[in-house]
Amino acid sequence: MTENESLQRQLTYVDEIPETLSLHVPVQGSLKLALAAFKPLHDTTVTVEVEEGGSFEGAFADFSRSKYHFTLKVYLHGKAPNCDWHLAAIAAEDDQKLFETSVYHEKESSLGLMANYGICENESKLTFSGVSEIQKGAKKTHTRQVAKIIVFDPKSDGQASPILKIGENDVEASHAAVVGRLSEEHLFYLESRGVDETMAKRLITLGYLKPIEAYFSDPKIVEQIDNAIEGGI
Amino acid sequence: MSKLSIKNLHVAVKGKEILRGVDLDVAEGETLALLGPNGHGKSTLLAAIMGNPAYQVTEGSIFLDGQDLLALSPDKRSLAGIFLAMQYPSEIPGLNSADFLKAAMNAHSAKPLSLFQFYNALQSAYEAMGIPFEMSKRNLNEGFSGGEKKRNEMLQMRLLQPKIALLDEIDSGLDVDAMGVVAKAIEQEQARGAGFLVVSHYARLYNMIKPTRAAVLINGRIAVNGGVDLIEKIDTQGYEWIKRELGIEVEKITDEAMNTVSIGACATRVAVNHDGK
Repeated sequence: MTENESLQRQLTYVDEIPETLSLHVPVQGSLKLALAAFKPLHDTTVTVEVEEGGSFEGAFADFSRSKYHFTLKVYLHGKAPNCDWHLAAIAAEDDQKLFETSVYHEKESSLGLMANYGICENESKLTFSGVSEIQKGAKKTHTRQVAKIIVFDPKSDGQASPILKIGENDVEASHAAVVGRLSEEHLFYLESRGVDETMAKRLITLGYLKPIEAYFSDPKIVEQIDNAIEGGI
Repeated sequence: MSKLSIKNLHVAVKGKEILRGVDLDVAEGETLALLGPNGHGKSTLLAAIMGNPAYQVTEGSIFLDGQDLLALSPDKRSLAGIFLAMQYPSEIPGLNSADFLKAAMNAHSAKPLSLFQFYNALQSAYEAMGIPFEMSKRNLNEGFSGGEKKRNEMLQMRLLQPKIALLDEIDSGLDVDAMGVVAKAIEQEQARGAGFLVVSHYARLYNMIKPTRAAVLINGRIAVNGGVDLIEKIDTQGYEWIKRELGIEVEKITDEAMNTVSIGACATRVAVNHDGK
């Protein structure tokens, strides 16, 4: 293995996700982590430590039927590291899923992006809890959280709580959280073009979930995700 | 020949009556310019014809070729031949434009289009509307400029080829060049025989697309039906003459009080003096 190769790692777990994952991204290194779940999961904690100039790209496609708690903690230790996290989850039947995702900006010029998308159906519960913490000294940091959940049924419960903790000036921090039924306005727009309600809902939902596929390079996994999305909606 | 026929239409929004008995006909091959002061019901009329669930029809009828549109959902109205180019087209996050257009075109086709047919039609429509084909890969209307959204509406009209197209301020937000592109798209559909109900405040668009007649909607009713000279008269004189010549008082529309909103705790800031006061 060359020095360059050791700096660039790619890890993929399908269903067999360890209960604890501790990962380290060295100076100027990069790590791509891709998780996909189609079978019931246990509680899982992923910790990622990113050094100066390092890059962490993580994605989780969760289509399991589970009751579990997923925790992600990303520590951006050095100067100018970045984190790009994307989650797509479906909660159905009596699933109880809690995703706690946190990014800690410790030094200046770091970039943290978290995007959590989900749909919940039947009597399931789906919770996104995100914390972006900009610590003292982390000037010129940019952090953003997006948490969006479509709630399909009256008995399903979706909650999104993005939290920004800002301990420094001269930073950019933003969040967007939406939990609710499909937008009537969006449905009307699509239906006014001849697309029936079922297809319109399907197109909008696909728009929420399909972008996760871009994080997976193995076409077989992409096909599995495709099938899970089709089956889930 | 297809004909959209509206009789005694009453429409309410959130319990407030906006349309109070509209009578109007639009046939294939004709272009009706619909004018009127802001807030008097032009957009409401178009939305009600298309079947927007936010607009409740409380009385009256809308028929297209003898088919009761009020009994149909918006998608069925589209399939029957109605198209609405919206004033504020929705941005749909994550929905790829090409995927959406394919779904819409397939809904209008007896059998699904082949990939070759679809891409040929798509490419030709993007080219005609002066929109880079790469934009078909972008999310529907997301991040589009005002002008791009309006051209995208016209692109959809071109692909779906309606019998009657309803255009709600299609010229707002367009520069001169884009206005020319939109006018040309309308002219092509006119030449195909489509009928148009066009809402605009400006004579410039009407000069380009040459309506066959005009109507003025005031106080929720059609106050005047006439020839295209009405457009120039309103463009130069406004609506004052309506009261003078027809004795119709133009109601002043005031904005409703804003809804009470709450902002999240994260958007609030509390300042506390160090001495505790």
